[in-house]
Parts: sequence; structure tokens; C-alpha cells
Amino acid sequence: MTTATLPRVPGNRGPRVSPLRRVTGSPALRLVVKRLLMAIPIMLGVTVLTFWVLSLIPGNAAQQLLGAEATPEDIALLEERLGLNESGVSRYLSWLGNAVTGDLGNSLVSGQPVSDVLGERLPVTGELVFLAFFVSLILAVPVALIAAHKPNGVLDRVSMMVSTLGLSVANYVLALLLVLVFAVTLGWLPAIGYVPLSEGLWANLEPMILPSAAIGLPLFCFYARFLRGDLVDQMQQEEYVTTARAKGIGSWQVLLRHAFRNSSFGLITVVGLNLGALIGGTVIVEQIFALPGVGQMLLQAINTRDFVVVQAAVVIFALVAVLANLFVDLMYAVLDPRIRYGSS
Amino acid sequence: MTGDRTTFPTDDTFVSTGVIDSGAQPDRGRHAAVPGEPLLTVSDLRVQFTRGGRRINAVNGLSYEMVPGKMMAIIGESGSGKSVSSRALMGLLPGTAKISGSIRFDGRELIGLDEKELRKLRGGDIAMVFQDPARSLNPTMKIGSQITEAVRAHSDLDKKGAHARAVELLRLVRLPAPERRFHEYPHQLSGGMRQRVMIAIALAGEPRLLIADEATTALDVTTQAQIMELLVELRERLGMAVIMISHDLGLAASYAEDVVVMYAGQAVEHAPVRTLFSNVRMPYTRALLGAIPALDREPHSMLPVTPGQPPDLSALPKGCPFRPRCSNATDKCLEHPPFLEHEPDHWWACWNPAGTELDTAPEITAALTPASATEAAHHSEHDRPEDEGVAR
Amino acid sequence: MAVADTPLQVAEQPAADQDDAVPGGRRWHGKLGIWLPGGAIALIVAACFLGPALFGLPRPVGGSVLESYLPAGSPGHLLGTDPNGNDILSRLLHGGRASLFIAFTVNVIGLVLGGTLGAVSGYVGGVVDTVIMRILDVLIAFPSLVLTLAVAQALGPSIRNTIFALAFFSIPAVARVARSAVLRLRGQPFMAAAELSGTSAWRMLFKHLAPNIAPQLITFGMLGMGIVIIIEGALSFLGLGIPAPAPSWGNMVADGQLSLSATPMLVVWPSLALLVTVLSFNLLGENLRSRWSGR
Repeated sequence: MTTATLPRVPGNRGPRVSPLRRVTGSPALRLVVKRLLMAIPIMLGVTVLTFWVLSLIPGNAAQQLLGAEATPEDIALLEERLGLNESGVSRYLSWLGNAVTGDLGNSLVSGQPVSDVLGERLPVTGELVFLAFFVSLILAVPVALIAAHKPNGVLDRVSMMVSTLGLSVANYVLALLLVLVFAVTLGWLPAIGYVPLSEGLWANLEPMILPSAAIGLPLFCFYARFLRGDLVDQMQQEEYVTTARAKGIGSWQVLLRHAFRNSSFGLITVVGLNLGALIGGTVIVEQIFALPGVGQMLLQAINTRDFVVVQAAVVIFALVAVLANLFVDLMYAVLDPRIRYGSS
Repeated sequence: MTGDRTTFPTDDTFVSTGVIDSGAQPDRGRHAAVPGEPLLTVSDLRVQFTRGGRRINAVNGLSYEMVPGKMMAIIGESGSGKSVSSRALMGLLPGTAKISGSIRFDGRELIGLDEKELRKLRGGDIAMVFQDPARSLNPTMKIGSQITEAVRAHSDLDKKGAHARAVELLRLVRLPAPERRFHEYPHQLSGGMRQRVMIAIALAGEPRLLIADEATTALDVTTQAQIMELLVELRERLGMAVIMISHDLGLAASYAEDVVVMYAGQAVEHAPVRTLFSNVRMPYTRALLGAIPALDREPHSMLPVTPGQPPDLSALPKGCPFRPRCSNATDKCLEHPPFLEHEPDHWWACWNPAGTELDTAPEITAALTPASATEAAHHSEHDRPEDEGVAR
Repeated sequence: MAVADTPLQVAEQPAADQDDAVPGGRRWHGKLGIWLPGGAIALIVAACFLGPALFGLPRPVGGSVLESYLPAGSPGHLLGTDPNGNDILSRLLHGGRASLFIAFTVNVIGLVLGGTLGAVSGYVGGVVDTVIMRILDVLIAFPSLVLTLAVAQALGPSIRNTIFALAFFSIPAVARVARSAVLRLRGQPFMAAAELSGTSAWRMLFKHLAPNIAPQLITFGMLGMGIVIIIEGALSFLGLGIPAPAPSWGNMVADGQLSLSATPMLVVWPSLALLVTVLSFNLLGENLRSRWSGR
């Protein structure tokens, strides 16, 4: 709480100034720093949890690598070479020490550095997620605005019915149905495969259309529903909307300039929360469309018990989720004047 | 006419010296209505909502008229229909509300106007200031653009002109340092300042009628007085009519010239403020008056209490809606009393008005306790009291 | 701190006065909106658990290859047979049993544990609240599907393992919903009144808080049913859920995928079953919510 009736004199901010506040001038920056500091224990927690759960799993990589025929001596030897015989705590600490410097270890199966593998795989998953988000948001915003302009109108009811349906479809089902219609029956688009961007934009985009639609369509339904609901709430319950209408401005202007501006904060939050969950969901879609992304890598690593790769993939996914939330806070700080100028 | 006004602090602490009084605008032609001719005539206005299958009769045959340039108060408990009726005036009710009756503004019927005409009217000829300035301003927009938006909706001014006009309006409502405040957000202002901004927005279209809907309820007493003084001053300077909607009879008595008392969605008494207080007729009005604590009351004596509940708007009793709570009620009251001008300028709707032989001693006369009156105010639809002078 | 306190299901806000357009419409629409999906769910449950015995359907496994790929409408096989000669209808109904059982168990565990955790966290507040919420933050940031996959692969696919993994990761979301509901309730006068009259903390939680947050949790559970059914399907689809040859909607879709162009109906039937079931739960949850919030 700040007393805004008094003019703000620089250097005279009252007696209670926290040290953090003194270090970072703007409230927005303070918020970001605070959230960054909060993200660290969360990331530590995620890595510990992964390590712990993976260590609980019976059977180990050495056994898996050498096959059923291996002698106990062979296994012990390999375990020692891979550092698997050390205690969990010391293994975790050495992993963490390396991870901070960017070294996520070598794959137990291929021996390749995990960070190199990730370098190849991340762009594929990244492109998939970006396209899905981009398309779903581009479509959801106008649909929600049109639906909210006349609540319970024909357009509203139709779009909400369609989106309820879309929200109930599992993405693997949707993926197969899309393949069935657009690849098998109509033959318009390839069913599987990935072409790097270096071979041309369209060559790259064409096989990405169906996978990103499989992820993006449910997302579109979700965003459209959410935004429409929030807009209608704003329009019907918020007094500032009544003020805006009382000024005599048009209904679209009220919707766009006033309600949407405020609803967009909620939308940003949802998008941020979604991103984390969505990354995990790419696993199955990459599998169906044979896309060489992180999800596919993870699934292969799980099947071969390549726990170094599993660990790395889980950390990457969690990191994206945490960063997405941080990004949401940043957006708030930039967009919401109540935070930008500091108030509780 | 407003003799009690001086009992309130009139110092406007926000007035900064050196403010150029650019707001004084003489008659601008369209304000020159014929004196005595009503500016606004509301007759038999009815508003019905449907909520969860129940029909709620928020306004039930409200009638009143007001002449240009007057300050009129509409008084009633929460749920008496005072807010709903004023929103009906501006076409601000949701599309699901059923509105019937007639609202004539300057000879033009407002009910049934299409959206385009209504838009011209809103913020143009009729403007409104709402109860809670913390919620009535868009928290994500600079106050400057919230004002210029209103200015540009009713003029051909370009961006620069609208800016100048907005600053001029902020000066008119005595907001200190208007050029700086123009670029600030609502949360950076105190409650009283926000309400000044709301008034500036309302004045943007040079309205002939300003409706202040519980405009000072969310403010502390000192700020309340300052805002009321500002409204009185602006009314005189700009020659506009003001309807102040309030649950506070004392406030109305201090500032208004005419008072309409509403109960269960209809007007039950309407008179100039002096007449009303010296010669109250409607038992409900008297109950309200009895609930105002007075200095000459015996110390520690209980305030009179009106028995019964406020009316259920989905199931109104037959006849007079106040009958179940009225000490004057007779069998005659099962018939709906007409709202008539029984004495010059004094209208009421009652078969057995106070001051007639049936009237019993005042101590039997029912009255609301101040406690229940304040409680009613706090339960009103949009009430969110906030501490004045502290920005959130 | 808008993000930290935003419950996961941010979309679950009451839509205001949706049905005011038609006088009396809310009642009619509201009732139908609950009875229709509710009835559909009852029908699906009855069909899955009683249907196979009632109609004397063949066993879902161990079919003869001689009877493979029979078209829909074949005698004795209403929806035809799959590549192994198993009756598709029978597999659908048995697969539904597993899906519904898993989803129900997961949600009960998640609601009880998550609900208690969230309610205690919100009610006690202070350090306890902070610690619990930070732990939940970790779990939420965690790619739960991934870990479920790893666990399922390591322990071997089984119904019990699937239930444990899914229930564990449904706790944080439920806890957040319960916590925000409790925080909202804490400000209410009746809570203060109960507290002032010396009601014990446990009594407060179970007598005063539980009945008030139950509607929100039950609605969330309905939506959770749909989510769990989909995720369980995903696990089975990847071969890490219900172990083959036992049927599940997920592994039926996955098996059908192999001959998608030749026999698309093998994918369509289980997909349809998934869609209708999830849609019914979603609709029921949504309509229950708008009904409860409309009060």
C-alpha cells in the first residue's frame, strides 16, 4: 500500500523500505526477481523428485544394456564405470553440479552427450508447440469476441457447442482422425515425417500441419471458452463496463477497449499454465506422427531405461513450465499498471 | 432551499491555487429549456427481471417529473428500485430486463429508442456517476484516456483537442495537477479523486441531466461533503439538472430541492424538501425520518424500529406494498393507493396519510433503526466500502 | 501474485446469467443439462458393467483368427471383430470397465487426499500453507505424464500402478481448488462466528468447511473423470497402461492405428466411446457448476 495522495518525492518513500526494494527500483523488477528466486527451489524440487522416483525403479540400466545373459561381474563392472554404484545423494549432487554448467551427462545407450541430443530435438518440439499455440490463439480470440458480443446468440451457442465437443476429444484420437481424413482419405497432407527447415519453408511446414492441429484444436477450444466466459463476466458484472457504456461509446468498443483489455490478463495466465502441461502432451503426438522431438526421445529412453536421458527430458519439461509461469508474471508486470506502478 | 448545507465542511482541500477556472460555460443554447416545463417525465415505469425462473418486479409503476436545472433526490432502501429505474433511463439495463411505461426526456420518448439513439443520449444529454469509484473506472487504462474516450464519443475533437478538453474537465472538477493526473491510473488516486474523475467523465458530453447513483456512499464523510459541494457548484455553473440517488435522507435534505421517496419500486411521496420535512404524509417516509438520530432525543433511548421485512419483489402484497409494516394500515389499504398531487407540489400514495384522524401517536409510528438503514446500504448491490485517501 | 494463487482450472468461473434470455429457461435448460449427461453416464456404466453378461457377449480375448476382420452386423458380432477375431463390442464394454474403474478410483483418492491437503493448508495458513503450496508448485511444474510413463514402464503396466501414478499427480490440482475455496470461505462471517464460539479446528474443517467446498470438489471431480479417462487412454495407447491382450479404449485405438487405412472402424469405435464418455462427464461437471454457482 502506498499513499498516492501525497506526491511521490524521490528518496522519500517513508520509513519502511525493505532492502530488496532498495536494490531493485521498480515494483515490476522486484516481482520478477522474487519469482526468479522462487523458481530455483521449484527446479531443485523437480530434479530431486525425478532422481528419487527413478532410483526407486527396480532393474537398472547396466542390466538392461547387457541383456539377460550378462554375468553379475559384468554388471558390477559396468555399474562402476557408469557411476551407478554410488549413493543416490552423491550421484544427485554430481549430476546437479554438471547440469548447472550445461552438462547433462551422456546417454547410457548411445554414449552421446545428452545436451547434443537435446540440441537436435528441442527445435522440433519447439516448432510444434509454437505452431499449436499460435494457431489456437489467433483463432480463439476473434471467436471468443464474436461469441461474447451477443451472449446466447446463435454464434455464441454454436461456437460454445463446438468447443465443448473439441475439449472432450483426446489428442491421440484427434490425431488419428485427422490422419484418417486428411492423409488417408483425401491425401492432402503427409501422415508422418519431419523435414528440417533447411529444405524449404513449405516442405518443413507441410508435415507439421496435422500434428500441430492435433495439439492446437483442443487448445483453441479451451482458450475460446475461457476467454468468452471471462469476457461475458466482465461485461455483465464489472462496473467499469457500465461506466464505459454510460459514456455512449459503441458496444464493440466497450468489448475491445475495456472488457478484452482486462480479460487478456486471465488469458495470459491460462496460456502460461497450459504451456507446461502441453509440452508433456507432445510426447504422444510426436510418437503418432514420427516427429524426432524431445517427446519421442523421452519415450525411447523410457523403453531402453536410459535414465540419464529421461532425467534430462523431465528437467527440460519442468524448466519450460517454470519459465512459462515466469513469463506470465513478466507479461503482467509489463501490461498491468497496478503491478507496474506498484500496489498490493 | 438548502439551508442545512453549511453544517457540512465546505472546505475543498483538494483545491489547488492557481487553477484557471476554464470550466465556466454560460448557457450553450441547448440548455435553454423553458422554465417550468418538465425536463424529465417518468410515468408508470415498470422493470421486470427473470432470475432463476422467478420474476422480480424491480420497478412497479414509478412516476415523477423534474424541471430543468433542479437538484432532485431519489431516496429509498436498497432494493427499492431507485438504481434500476435510473439505469433504465439510460438504457443501461441488460437486454433481459422487461421495461414498460414511459420516460420522456425533453419531450422525447426514451423507451423503445434504438441502440444508436441511446448511445447518443448516454453520456451526451444524460450522464451518470456511479457508486464505487474504485470499481467504476477501468483499472488498466489511464484516467486521461478514459476521459478522452467520453469526450470523443460526443464531439468531433481530434486527439489533441480531446486531450485539452479532458484536462479542462479535470480542472473543472478540481483535481489537483490535472496534467500529471491525466497520465496516471485509477489505483494511484484516492477514492475522492477517483470520484472527481468519474464526474469529469460524466461532464464530457455536457449533459443536461446528471444522475449521481449513490455517488458518495463509498466515500468517508468529509470527502462525501466535498463531492456533494462540487456537484452543487457544477450544477449551478453548468445549469444542468441533477438526480441524486441515495439511501441517506439526511444527505438528501442537505443538498436537494425536491425529494422522491421510493418503496418497493414505486414513488410513495414526492415534495420539495421543506414541505416533506415539515409536513410528512406517507407513513413510510415518516418511518425513515424517525430513524435519523437527533440530538434532542433522550440519551440512551432506543430508536424506533419498523416491524417486518423489506418487501419481496417477486411476491408483492396486494394493495399498498407498505401495508404489512404500516401502523396506519386499514382494510382500505388492500386496494392500491394512487400516487396523486394531494396538496400543491406534494404527491403521495397513501389512503391514511399521517396528519389525519387515523394517525396515532408518533411513538407508535414505525421507524427503521439506523443500524438496519446502514446495513441496508452496505448490502446494496455494488457496495464496497474503501478507505479514503489510500490508493490500492 | 496472480499466478501463484490462480487455481489450475481457471476456466471454471461461473458464467453469469446464461439462461436469463428465456423466461423460466434456466430451470428447463438446467435440468436437462444435468439429466442428459447424467443419464448418458448411467447408461454407459450399466452397459460396461452389466452389458456383457446381459447380452451374452463373447469374451473380449482369446478369439479365433478364423473369425478376424468380420464386418459390423455379422451374426453374433454386432460391431464385427478385430484382427484377432475378438468381438469389438465386447472389447469396447470391457475396456470401458477398466477406464471407468481407474478414473473413479483415481478421482476418489485425489479428491480425498488433495481436498484434505488443500483445506488444511488454506485453513491453517502460515508456514504450513507456504510449505504445502511450494511442494504442490513442484508437483505442478512436474511433467506428470512423463513420470507416469517411466513408472509404468519400470514397474510393468498394470491397473494398480496406473491408478497410483495418476492419483498422485491429481492431488495438486485438487488441493489448489480446495485451498482457494477455503480461503474464500474464511472471510465469511459465519466462519468468524463459529470460531468465536469456540468451535474446534477439526470440527470447523469437517462441519463447516467440508460441506461448503464439497460442491466445488465434486464438480472438479466430474471434470477430472474426463481428464483421467483421456490420460489413461494415452498410457494404454503407448502400451504402458492396461496390459494387452486385455482391452482398453486406449490400446484399442493404438491397435487400430496399425491398419488405419484398411479398417478405420477399429479406431472409430473406441474413439467414439472415449468421446461420448468424456463429453458426458464434462457436460455434467460444467452444468453442475453453473447450477451451484448460480445460487
